[in-house]
Amino acid sequence: MSPLAHGAAYGVVIVTVLLTIVALTIWFERKLAGRMQSRLGPTMVGPVGLLQPIADVLKLLQKEDIIPTDADRGLFNVAPILAVLVSLGAAAVVPFSPSTIAADLDVGVLYVLAIGGVMVIPTFAAGWGSNNKFALLGAMRAVAQSVSYGVPLVLATLVPVILAGTLSLSGIVTWQSHHHWIAVWPVIPGLPAFFVFFLALLAESNRIPFDIPEAESELVAGVTTEYTGAKFTLFYMGEYLHTLVGSAVAAALFFGGWDGPFAPGLPWMVGKTLVLFATVYWVRWSLLRFRADQLMELCWKRLTPLAVALVLLAAAWVQFGPGGSE
Amino acid sequence: MGYLLDALRAMGTTLVTAFRKPTTVEFPAVIRPRAERYRASFALPDDEHGELACIGCLACERICPSQVIKMKPSGKRDSPVTGKKRQYVDTFVLDLSACIGCELCVQVCNSDAIRMTREPEVPVFSREDLVLDLERLRANAREKTMSWGKGSELLERQEPPKVEKKVAPKPEAPPVAPAVPVVGEAR
Repeated sequence: MSPLAHGAAYGVVIVTVLLTIVALTIWFERKLAGRMQSRLGPTMVGPVGLLQPIADVLKLLQKEDIIPTDADRGLFNVAPILAVLVSLGAAAVVPFSPSTIAADLDVGVLYVLAIGGVMVIPTFAAGWGSNNKFALLGAMRAVAQSVSYGVPLVLATLVPVILAGTLSLSGIVTWQSHHHWIAVWPVIPGLPAFFVFFLALLAESNRIPFDIPEAESELVAGVTTEYTGAKFTLFYMGEYLHTLVGSAVAAALFFGGWDGPFAPGLPWMVGKTLVLFATVYWVRWSLLRFRADQLMELCWKRLTPLAVALVLLAAAWVQFGPGGSE
Repeated sequence: MGYLLDALRAMGTTLVTAFRKPTTVEFPAVIRPRAERYRASFALPDDEHGELACIGCLACERICPSQVIKMKPSGKRDSPVTGKKRQYVDTFVLDLSACIGCELCVQVCNSDAIRMTREPEVPVFSREDLVLDLERLRANAREKTMSWGKGSELLERQEPPKVEKKVAPKPEAPPVAPAVPVVGEAR
């Protein structure tokens, strides 16, 4: 099969499965949030509320599609589509199992980081195109935030790259299946690096405690303030997709991806991704929002030096330690 | 480091809560016990002879603060049951949508002819369903559980306790406040 046909076929499958999972995770998050607040969450639509996401989407699609009079129509219309495409794009290089991978790039990690960085563009386009002061403020905060978390994110990602000696995501997973999961051994660069990566992931997917760009109590809804109906649905979906794909990347980088005892393969990858995803929501429903300056301080003064130290440690481990990238 | 520990503690709290039984009661399916004096709708019960107790005296219509009761008394005529002369009511409309549930109409009723009912649910699908006419009020009296009080009982409770009239002694004039003694120099 030609690489193009292979990519297209796997792409269709992965996108379909991801979108289904996103629908289910919206249900799961609402259930989890409910239980964490001593509520029940959705119970009415379908068995235990399982059809709630479908009802939500149907409701959203019925809404009027409003474009503000003075909006930059081009940007305004393109931004939500880009947001979903970018989130989906990152999924292309994620190895869901030894064979389930749409495009096994040699520079998969670089690709993921790059496309994660691109995520800021639809956000800013939406904020600028809306011609709304709250949306613009949110967009500007998103850009400022992305500059801050980008550095520790890249540095934390370097740790598994250095340890495994490859930039390919599937290569890193294969290396972990032969050695150890990076979050488990070597513990010292591995686990803190995961911690830094996880915090940066929270910031990248605009999740509490770093949801500064859409801070509801300050900015109405941030960049999505002017969006309604289908376009809002796209943004909403893009956000969940982004978190989901980010969790999958974290699982591949630090927790051995599809590797696991008994039956290595797709179930392990899905399980790890969902556990990480649930952790993101666990954090989301437990903590409060950081202020913008607190985020900057955390990223620049704490996470960046920590990540630099971890990268050096990882390099030392490879050079002088017992386990390098043979 | 401090906020990291705080964050972990917050996450611990939510984790523990997530595995507890939710406090939510799924309302229409499960209804928690109502308070003793819970009251929701109205009924026009019959008197001891089996005819409508309401004599159309307009007391409730007059006292209703939100003016939701409208009735049209018929003239006095002989009762077919007892043979005595009494007044009846031709139409009686109570608009529950504006009722504030103050129970004043029950309190002023001398013939115990209007009562409030305990109902699990009052909400309806159209506004018209909240306008109770004579038929529905009488049906309520037959079908629903009555609330705690009726006019005669409530009136009895309201009567202020009798006390002998005492001539209160004239209060003494308040003592004149002594002038503030000047201590030291004024600052």
